[in-house]
Amino acid sequence: MTPSFEKLQQALKQLPGIGYRSAERIALNLLVEKPARLPALVAALEEAAQSVRRCARCGNLAEGDAPCAVCADERRDAGVVCVVEQVPDLVAIERSGAFRGVYHVLHGKLSPINGVGPGDLNLATLLVRVESGEVRELILALSNDVEGEATCHYLTQHLPSANAVKVSRIGFGLPSGGGVLYADSVTLKSALDARRNYD
Amino acid sequence: MRLRSLNLRHFRNVTLTRLEFSGRLVCFVGGNGQGKTNLLEAVGLLTALRSFRTPDNRLLLMHNQPAAALICELDHERVGTAKVSITLRRDGKEVWCDDTRVAKLADFIGRFPTVAFSSQDQQLVRGSPAGRRRWLDVAAAAMEPDYLRALLAYDKALEARNSLLKSEGASDAELEAFEVALAPAAADLIARRSAVIATLGAHLAKAYERIASGAERPALVYRPDFDEEPDAEALLARLAASRGRDRMFRTTVGGAHRDDFELTLGGRDAKDYGSEGQQRSLVLALKLAQAAWFHERSGVRPVLLADDVLGELDAARRREFWQAVDPESQVIATGTALPDATLGNWRIFRVADGEVSPEP
Ligand SMILES: [Zn+2]
Repeated sequence: MTPSFEKLQQALKQLPGIGYRSAERIALNLLVEKPARLPALVAALEEAAQSVRRCARCGNLAEGDAPCAVCADERRDAGVVCVVEQVPDLVAIERSGAFRGVYHVLHGKLSPINGVGPGDLNLATLLVRVESGEVRELILALSNDVEGEATCHYLTQHLPSANAVKVSRIGFGLPSGGGVLYADSVTLKSALDARRNYD
Repeated sequence: MRLRSLNLRHFRNVTLTRLEFSGRLVCFVGGNGQGKTNLLEAVGLLTALRSFRTPDNRLLLMHNQPAAALICELDHERVGTAKVSITLRRDGKEVWCDDTRVAKLADFIGRFPTVAFSSQDQQLVRGSPAGRRRWLDVAAAAMEPDYLRALLAYDKALEARNSLLKSEGASDAELEAFEVALAPAAADLIARRSAVIATLGAHLAKAYERIASGAERPALVYRPDFDEEPDAEALLARLAASRGRDRMFRTTVGGAHRDDFELTLGGRDAKDYGSEGQQRSLVLALKLAQAAWFHERSGVRPVLLADDVLGELDAARRREFWQAVDPESQVIATGTALPDATLGNWRIFRVADGEVSPEP
């Protein structure tokens, strides 16, 4: 193997779910077996790196300075905000078709063991949204475990008290210790329907 | 439950062995240090994937070997026959039950119960609270999935709070967020421990009566570190109030992770007031109580693993012990001499330097 090949393989190995063998296979495929695909992949990577951002309002994936597809959709109820940990959680809830409000992605949860504190979460923009008065209801769709629970508590303690926002937490039907991502659509729909008031 | 066969590879000093058992009574006979106890230890892993001798599974691997493996075939009251295979590596373990890989401890723990009687058991009377707590937690978690859940939730919340206390910049709000998760988990765990100790205590009194003559009644007494009603609100207030001290010590000083229980005789702590013989009888009775409780709760009779423990008893106590053992339970024993033939037909295996051979 050449130095450049090894450099590529090392870079691929850093990606989630890719080990040494897979990295080698992908590199060989790109460079030797199907080199015709390579320019399209490079272009796609470059374009995505240029344009994909976090939505300034909710933290979902968005392009350039534009809001994300959910925030841009005027038929959705911007007064009801579902708070999730990660973008894939949002995707899972969207797939269930059970929710017509908008989202806020925290990009994590409080996890002292992993060194994740409030400053590492996309929390400040959520508080700004609530402060602005646009939010009537918050649905906390965080995982049903110790860290999810602590994050819910922290968040509700920091909501501006002047705005009366209804806060509920989904939970019904979610396996204990489980997150939104691993629930199927039916479970997610019943979890959303059966959300309970958070106090 | 009865063990029908045991395959071991690279387990402690056993390179490779396959043993078949047909009856109820099995005995490994050999000199000290030959590996008799290693065989019992392997069977004991079936309960909770933990050794009754050490908390460190890496010690179970033969020197210079990457993995140790055991495969057991069992007759089981609930599932009929089962084949369990456990592979231990330095960095983890893999467990298969028939043709299904076991993904979570909660799906496995307690399904194949064993109760070990060993000379280390006296530490349950004399030893540290940590040792007693560990024994109680494993025994209870094996019996009650909810106990395991409560214990794991408590440990996770405690670990998070302790991480915050160790880091410099953690705010009160962050501590509070995890205390709100910790307090109900603690209340849940304390209530479950209290119930388990009460149930186990009742079985203990019955078992003790059968193996020790004497008027003094034994009891198990829970000594929770928070000596109040297990009420989440009160525990939360207590956590908030100890923040200053806990920040200073950089850890959660008090709580259910410091709980203890006492074995008493006639209302007095057996550690300080029990004779040597009373202490021995008490721990035997506690293990018999554990077996009776397992059976009552799950309908499965645990396999009893008697590690040379009876060698330390006088003849009268030994006889009483055997009379107290459930006559349907399989017993796998070790000894330096042949076991008492009046108890039934023993299947004898000779153990020498990790080699096991059946006696014809
Ligand atoms: Zn958005």
